[in-house]
Amino acid sequence: MENIWNKWTTIIRPKSKNQTGHSCDKTHRHHRAGHKHGQGSAIDFYAYISNIRHWNPAFKVTFSVTILLLCIILNSPYVSVAVILAMAYLTVVKGGIPLHEYLSILMIPMVFILLSTITIGVDFSNQSLGQYNLYLGFGYLYTSQAKLMAMVFLMLKVFGAISAMEMMTLSTPSTEIISVLRKAHVPKLIIELMNLIYRYIFILLDVYAKMKNSADSRQGYCDFKTSCYTFGSVASNMLVVSLKKANAYYSAMEARCYDGDLLFLEEDKKVSKVQIIFGAAFIVFLILLWIVTI
Amino acid sequence: MNVKEKRFIAVVAVIALIFGFTPVANAMHIMEGYLPVGFSIAWGVICIPFLVAGYMSIRKTLKENPKTITLLAMAGAYIFVVSSLKIPSVTGSCSHMTGTGLGAILFGPAAVSILGIIVLLFQAILLAHGGLTTLGANTFSMAIAGPFVAYGIYMLGLKVKIKKHVVVFLAAAIGDLFTYCVTAFQLALAYPSESGGVAASAVKFLAVFAPTQVPLAIIEGILTVVIIIGLETYAQPELKDLGYLTGGVN
Repeated sequence: MENIWNKWTTIIRPKSKNQTGHSCDKTHRHHRAGHKHGQGSAIDFYAYISNIRHWNPAFKVTFSVTILLLCIILNSPYVSVAVILAMAYLTVVKGGIPLHEYLSILMIPMVFILLSTITIGVDFSNQSLGQYNLYLGFGYLYTSQAKLMAMVFLMLKVFGAISAMEMMTLSTPSTEIISVLRKAHVPKLIIELMNLIYRYIFILLDVYAKMKNSADSRQGYCDFKTSCYTFGSVASNMLVVSLKKANAYYSAMEARCYDGDLLFLEEDKKVSKVQIIFGAAFIVFLILLWIVTI
Repeated sequence: MNVKEKRFIAVVAVIALIFGFTPVANAMHIMEGYLPVGFSIAWGVICIPFLVAGYMSIRKTLKENPKTITLLAMAGAYIFVVSSLKIPSVTGSCSHMTGTGLGAILFGPAAVSILGIIVLLFQAILLAHGGLTTLGANTFSMAIAGPFVAYGIYMLGLKVKIKKHVVVFLAAAIGDLFTYCVTAFQLALAYPSESGGVAASAVKFLAVFAPTQVPLAIIEGILTVVIIIGLETYAQPELKDLGYLTGGVN
């Protein structure tokens, strides 16, 4: 049973990835680091093919969240670098995610990181402050070595935190993350909604891909005005379709004796002692590193 | 070329790079690890009353009519998908809607707060937009502040009897702009400027994000109107269902 399930999921994921016209073929062929679209299904896809998928999900979630919190609380560039390296090792070497894919996923928030760290690094004032300043007529833009250092450290911290989170998301399918949340006693209603929303996302992406393709083949995106009109029509039709489907799904669930509880078959994954020891050792190492370098 | 000229060209190149990049920026998700611990926790705590209110309202609706669970879940998935779609833009780059205004108008602000936090969590997990520690701050700006303002404007506009499509445009665009202002304020609070404090820092963040967010808000307003027109044409019964769902006005 388990084998069939594994096969099924690995078959269905690449398919849903290709069917979402959202992931445009061009960017997928070139594999360049940068902003890409369609990661929605891609990240999930990598979670399913990861070599560390058989690790206990509760362990992975706890470990990654702990590292994430340590990275932010300790707030030290050394810790950040250690986290970045260790998480890259876990995801790429242990998990077997292709390096360029990993890098391009890390690059997704790059724009925001650049904009928001530059804002911190550069300041303005009506006096000439700092080590470097630029007179702009109405005031000074200035910065200093300390500010630039703070900016770089913040970037490191952000990348550390992101790689800690990606370690979890690139190795743990969403359904397993949700089941960990259920064990952590998140209200049942929220868990139920999360399970359903997760499934419906793929259905809607499928619907969207089909609508977009048929609109595209009829010159629906030929200029800006038409694109806006097409986008609006597709989005509104998608709502109509999704609401119709929602009713059908409820009937289908009811026909299978749904009484307010969605229960899924979960694989029982054991956590090994070695993993716990290594995890604990790494956490202790981070804290020691922080104490030594403070 | 002397050193000065070289430096000038480098600066111009950096600026060009930044502004070449900016249209790609999507909704303003504060990324993982950016906020210090204190702020992450504080924003999470601020969200709690809204989330509890949303939870109560959803639970009440479900008790009265259990069938709405699939409808709610579809609404959540719809918000996720709409906010991950590439929207048309003049320059040919990619940007996304926030979907907050549309969600608030269709599903009501109470339901959107709960659906919003789930959608934001999925965006962090599946799209790497936003993060776990910044979930509180992002929820406040995108799932609470934006939708509430959008809904308020929508209701107010309907009451004073402005043309409905104008109201929808205003609600979506201003809701979006408000989200952006709240995010800038959140960033400024966490990283106040040395010389000018929080206010100066807020001005900086607003200025840096304005080139992307202001045109986006206008496009989002237009798109929301187109979507609503489409729904009014084809989906009267469904809209009635949604009105039932939230006690909304559609």
